[in-house]
Amino acid sequence: MSYDVTTDRLPTFAIFDFKGTRKTLEKWTKFTLPDAPNRFIVNTGVILCHIGPDHWLLRAPLDREETLESQLKPTNAPADISIVRISDTQTFFSITGPNAAEVISIGCPMDLHETVFPQNSVSFSEFFTVKALIMRIPLGFEVAVEQSYANMIADYLDRATA
Amino acid sequence: MINIPCPFCGPRNESEFSFGGPVKPDRPDPNSVTDEQWVEYLTTVPNPLGAVQERWWHVRGCGTWLTIWRDTRTHDIVKGPNDA
Amino acid sequence: MMLNRLSTGGRIDRSKPLKFKFNGKTYTGFSGDTLASALIANGVSLTARSFKYHRPRGIVGAGVEEPSTLVELLGGDASGNRPATTVPLTEGLAARSVNCWPSPNFDLGGLTQVATRFLPAGFYYKTFKWPNWHVFEPTIRKAAGLATAPSCPPTTGHFENRYAHTNLLVAGAGPAGLMAALTAARAGKRVMLVDEGIEPGGSLLSTSQSIGSLPALDWVAEVVDELADNPNVTHMQNATVWGYREHNYLMVHERSPKNPSVIERNWRIRAGHVITATGGIERTMVFGNNERPGIMLASAAQTYVNRYAACPGRNAVIFTNNNSAYSVAADLIAAGVKIAAIVDSRATVPIEAETLTTQTTIYAGSVVTTTLGHKHIRAAIIEPINGGEACTIPCDLLAHSGGWNPTVHLFSQSRGTLKYDKIYATFRPDQPHQSTTYAGGFTLAEALLSGTEATAVALNISAQDIPVTANVPYAIEPLWRVENSKGKAFLDIQNDVTVDDVHLAIREGYSNIEHVKRYTTGGMGIDQGKTGNMNIIGAVALQQGVPMDEIGTTTFRAPYTPISFGAIGGLREESVVLPYRHTPLTDWNHTEGAFMYEAGARWRRPGYFPHAGEDFQTAVNRECRAVREKVGVYDGSPLGKFELKGLDVDRFLDHIYTNIMSTLKPGQCRYGLMLSDDGLIADDGVVMRLSEHRWIVSTSTGHADAMNGHMEELLQTQFPDWNVFLTTVTSQWNNATVCGPNAREVLQALGTDIDLSPKTFPFMSFRDGKVAGIPARIVRVSFTGELSFEVNVAPRDLRSLWDKILAAGAPFGIMPVGSEASHVLRVEKGFLSLGHEVDGPVDAHDLGMGWALSKKKPDYLGKHAVNLRRAGTANRRELVGVLPEPDCMIPEGAPLTPNGQKTTTEGFVTACVWSVVHNRWIGLALLKNGHSRHGETAHVRLKDGVIIPLKITAPVHYDPQGEKLRS
Repeated sequence: MSYDVTTDRLPTFAIFDFKGTRKTLEKWTKFTLPDAPNRFIVNTGVILCHIGPDHWLLRAPLDREETLESQLKPTNAPADISIVRISDTQTFFSITGPNAAEVISIGCPMDLHETVFPQNSVSFSEFFTVKALIMRIPLGFEVAVEQSYANMIADYLDRATA
Repeated sequence: MINIPCPFCGPRNESEFSFGGPVKPDRPDPNSVTDEQWVEYLTTVPNPLGAVQERWWHVRGCGTWLTIWRDTRTHDIVKGPNDA
Repeated sequence: MMLNRLSTGGRIDRSKPLKFKFNGKTYTGFSGDTLASALIANGVSLTARSFKYHRPRGIVGAGVEEPSTLVELLGGDASGNRPATTVPLTEGLAARSVNCWPSPNFDLGGLTQVATRFLPAGFYYKTFKWPNWHVFEPTIRKAAGLATAPSCPPTTGHFENRYAHTNLLVAGAGPAGLMAALTAARAGKRVMLVDEGIEPGGSLLSTSQSIGSLPALDWVAEVVDELADNPNVTHMQNATVWGYREHNYLMVHERSPKNPSVIERNWRIRAGHVITATGGIERTMVFGNNERPGIMLASAAQTYVNRYAACPGRNAVIFTNNNSAYSVAADLIAAGVKIAAIVDSRATVPIEAETLTTQTTIYAGSVVTTTLGHKHIRAAIIEPINGGEACTIPCDLLAHSGGWNPTVHLFSQSRGTLKYDKIYATFRPDQPHQSTTYAGGFTLAEALLSGTEATAVALNISAQDIPVTANVPYAIEPLWRVENSKGKAFLDIQNDVTVDDVHLAIREGYSNIEHVKRYTTGGMGIDQGKTGNMNIIGAVALQQGVPMDEIGTTTFRAPYTPISFGAIGGLREESVVLPYRHTPLTDWNHTEGAFMYEAGARWRRPGYFPHAGEDFQTAVNRECRAVREKVGVYDGSPLGKFELKGLDVDRFLDHIYTNIMSTLKPGQCRYGLMLSDDGLIADDGVVMRLSEHRWIVSTSTGHADAMNGHMEELLQTQFPDWNVFLTTVTSQWNNATVCGPNAREVLQALGTDIDLSPKTFPFMSFRDGKVAGIPARIVRVSFTGELSFEVNVAPRDLRSLWDKILAAGAPFGIMPVGSEASHVLRVEKGFLSLGHEVDGPVDAHDLGMGWALSKKKPDYLGKHAVNLRRAGTANRRELVGVLPEPDCMIPEGAPLTPNGQKTTTEGFVTACVWSVVHNRWIGLALLKNGHSRHGETAHVRLKDGVIIPLKITAPVHYDPQGEKLRS
C-alpha cells in the first residue's frame, strides 16, 4: 500500500437514535447526553454522540444491544421523544495509521485538522459523495455509512490506498 | 462550491447540502384565499438580482434546514435587509 | 553533441545525461532540462509550424507562457499539445511536433502560406457557414493538426482528488511567495505553498541575483528547508493553482505527488486567505515577421543561459521598450553571446539600464520593423521610430521585451478588479472581492517586501525583515506595435493572429475586446494569449484612439494552464464511476447469475435469474408462472422506510397524504398517495401504525431520499412547532417477500409464532413475531396481486432468512423473482408504477384512484390544486388496459392517435408485457377520455406509419376483485 494506513470494515454495533429535548431524553434513557454540538462522550463503554439539534446517537458493542433495548424501551418511550434502534443501518470503517488524515481527506470535504476537529469530535458529513458519520479516534478516524453503500466505500478505500 | 454556515455544524461545503429554493411566503389556507392567490402562492418564486433569501438542507450533515441570504451575482452570503 | 550547451552553470545535473527523441531523431540532454532547453542546447531551432499559416516557428518562451512549440508525447506518457517548455526531460522521452507533416522542417501544410491573403481573421465564420459548419469541421480540424487524445489511460498508478483546508494558501514560490509563506509559518499558521515550477524560486531561477549575502537560490533553499521542518506547512512543487472559485475555494493540480502510486492529484482547497504571488509574464514586441525561429522573449533567452546553460544563439539583437532587457543583455554577454545591438524604442535609455552593459551598441529611439530568414532568423531591419534610414543587422537570435504583465489570472478569477497603471503600462490588481491579496513587484526588493507585508496585514501577524538586495528599477514606455513594420506582425503567435486581423475585426464592427478575441481567436489558444493579450488591447486602444482602461481585459477563466482529465476524475473510474447500493443478497444474486440493473436511487437489483440456456422472455415467463401458480420470493429491501414518532404524527400524515391516515389502528396498514402542493403525484406507499404515536411510512425505492427531504422540509420550515420526529430505517428493515398461492404454506413450513389465518391476519395489516426463529415483522401487502407476506427482518438476518425460505419453499416450487417479472405481474393488476403511468399532469382520478382522495379532509397537500387543474381541463388522459389486436408487442411510450392518423396524439402506451396468464401481450395506456371508452378500439401509430389497433379495457387484466391478495 502506498499510504501508511490501515482500513478495516468493523462489525455491526448496537446503535440507537435519540430525538427530542435533552431533558426528556436524559430522564427516560438515564444517560447523560453531551451538550456541545458534534462531540461525543464515553460512559462505561457506551458512546453518546450529539450530531444534530435535539438529535443524539448511542453506540455500544453489539453484545449489549438486547440489554440496551430493554433498558431504553423504544416502544414505551414518552410520546414526545423518539428512540429507534438503527444498528443495522450503519456500517463502520476504521482508518488508522500515520496517513489516516491524508486518506480520509480524499473522500471527506470537512476540515478535520485537530484544531477544529479534536479528540471526541463526531459529525455527519460526506464520504465519497454519501452521507457518513465521521469520528476522531486516537489512532485516526472511524467512518460510518449507510449499510447499502458499504461495498462501494470499501471499493473506494481499496482504490485510494492501492 | 460555496461555504454554507450551518447553525449547528459551522461552515460546511455546499456538497453536504441540498438546495431548497428561495424562501416563499408562508402557505396560506387554500380555502381562505382566491384561486388566483393560491396559484400565485404555488407558482411565484422570488428571483431577484442581488440578495435572495433561500433555504438549504444539510442532508449530508446534521439534517437541519437553514436559511441564508445570498447575493446571486457573486455568491457572497450577505446580511438580509432586516438583519441587525 | 550538444552544440549550444554552455560548459558550466545552470540548474541541470550534468552527471545524469538523458536520451530523448524529437520528431524521430535522437538527442541527449541532462536531468533538469525541459524538452525545450534540451532542444536549444542541441541547436534545434525549427520546432513547429503555426496553426493557420504553417509558418516555421521555434521556441519563444521558457515556461507556461510558451505560444509556439506544442508537442505530442508518445509512448507510456502519451499526452497531446504540451508546450515543450513545460515538459521535464526524462530518459527515453519521445515527442513530436504537432500541426506539421511530415516534420516542421518540411511541412506540406506550409503550402497554405501561398493562400494567406485569403485566410484573414473571421475566415472560418464567413466561409464555412453553409450548409452547416459541422460539414467542414473534421477537415479543418485535421488540417489544424493538433494532437489527438492518447488511446488508453496510464496502465500503472491511479489519479486522486483530495480536500484540504488552510489558513493561508500562497500561489507561487518566488521571492514574494516564499516571504509570504515564511511570514505565516513563523506565526504558527496552517500554510499551503504551491508553485507550478519543478523547483521553487520563481523568477530567481532565471536571473543571477543575490539576496542578502547569499546567491538568491541559496536563500531559496534556506527558506524551503525552514518551511519543510514546519508540520503546519504543506509545500508542493510542480503543482498549479488553476482555479479560484467563490468563498476562497481553489483548485490545485499536483503533477508530482510524493505517493508513488498516485499519478497526479487534484486538490480542492478552502483557504482562509489567499496570496497570489504569481509573478509576471513578459509580453512580446509586435513587428513584422516577429515569430521566426530564433526570435524569443528576452526573459526566455535569459532563462536558457542562466538556468539551463543552453545558448539560443551566438550573435544577438535585443529589442525592448523597458529596462529589464538590459539585465538580459548582461547575462547573455556573461554566457559568451555577442550582442550585435540593443534596439530601444525609447528616445533616451535610463542610465541605470545603460550601465548594465557597457561596450554595447544601443540604438535608442529605434525599432525593428521586420526580420529576414525563413527557417531561422538571419537579420533584423532597424529604423528610427519616427521613420528614417533603415539598416540591416545580421543576427541568429532576436530577444525582445515588450514589457511585463503581473500574472493577475487568479486574482481576477476571484472577482478582483484590475486597473490600468500608466507608469508600468500594464493592468494591475485593484480591488479584491474575496479574502485575497496579490503580492509581488517589479523589483526583487518590492517582491520580498510585498510578500511579507501582504501576509502580515491579511493574517494580523508580524511582518518579517527583508534581506538587502540590489535592484534595477523597472521603467517602460509602452510600444503596443511598431507602426512602420513590414510583413505580418503577430499579436497572437499560437493562433496566427496579426495586427491586420485586429484592424479587420474593428472595421467589421467587432470593437469590444471580447468580440475582438472571438472574431480573431486572439488569446484563445492553449497559451490563452499570455504573451500577446496586452498587445491586442494596445492595438485596439491605438486604433480606436481610446485609453487602455476603456478597452479593458477579457474575462479570466479557469484553468490557468491546462490540467489533465485524469486529475479531475480522481478515483472515479470503473466500478465507482457512479455510486451503487447493495442489499445483503447481492453476493447471492451474483452467484445465481442474476442479470443486475440499477433500480432507482443507486440500488443494484436483480432483473431476472436466467437458468442455463434461457433467454430474457423465457426466464421472466418462468418467474411469473411461479408467482401466479405456486410461490415466488423477492428481495424488497430497498423500499424507503421511515419511523415517525411524536404527538403530531397523525395530523402530519393527514396533511401529506391524500387519504386519512389518522384513523389507522395499531397493526393496520394503508396504501396512500402523496401529492405535491401543486397537485401532481409525488409518491405512493404504505403507512403502518405501530402504536398511538409510532408509525412507519414507506415510500417507493426511487423517491425515498426525495420524500425524506420533503417531509423534513415541511416539519422544519412549515410546522416547526409540531412534535414529529423522523428517522430513516430503510436499511434497518430488509425483507424477503413470499408471494403466490402457496405463500402461506411456505411460511408455515418455515415455522412462525404468528397466526397466519386470514381472519386474524387480514390483508393490509402487520404482525410482529418470529419466523424461522428470526425476529420479524410480517406485513401483508401485495405488489404482485397474489397472496403475499413481506417478511421484514434486520439486515443481519436477511441472508439466513432467504436461505431458509428457499429451502422451506422448495417442495412448493419456490423460485427467486426479479424486477422484470414483478413488472409483468403489476401490469396484469393495473398497479401504479410511478415511472410509467405517472406522466406529468396525470392525477389520481385519471388513474382510477379517486378513492384515495379524501373528501372529508378540508385540506391536504395538493388537494386544492388537483381541483383547480381538473376545473381547467376537459378530455383528460385516463388509465386504461389495452390488448393489441392482432397480438403483438407494443413498445413502451408508443403514441396513440385517432385511427392511427398522423395527427395530434391522444395518449400513449405506458407498459406492454407478455402475460403467462392470458398467453398474449397485454398493456396499460393513458388515453383521452379512456374511462368512457372501454370496449372501443384505439390505435398505436409507430414510425414509418405502422398502425396497430388496441382493444381498450379496464386497467386490470387479472383478478379484478382482488380476491387473491386478500386470501
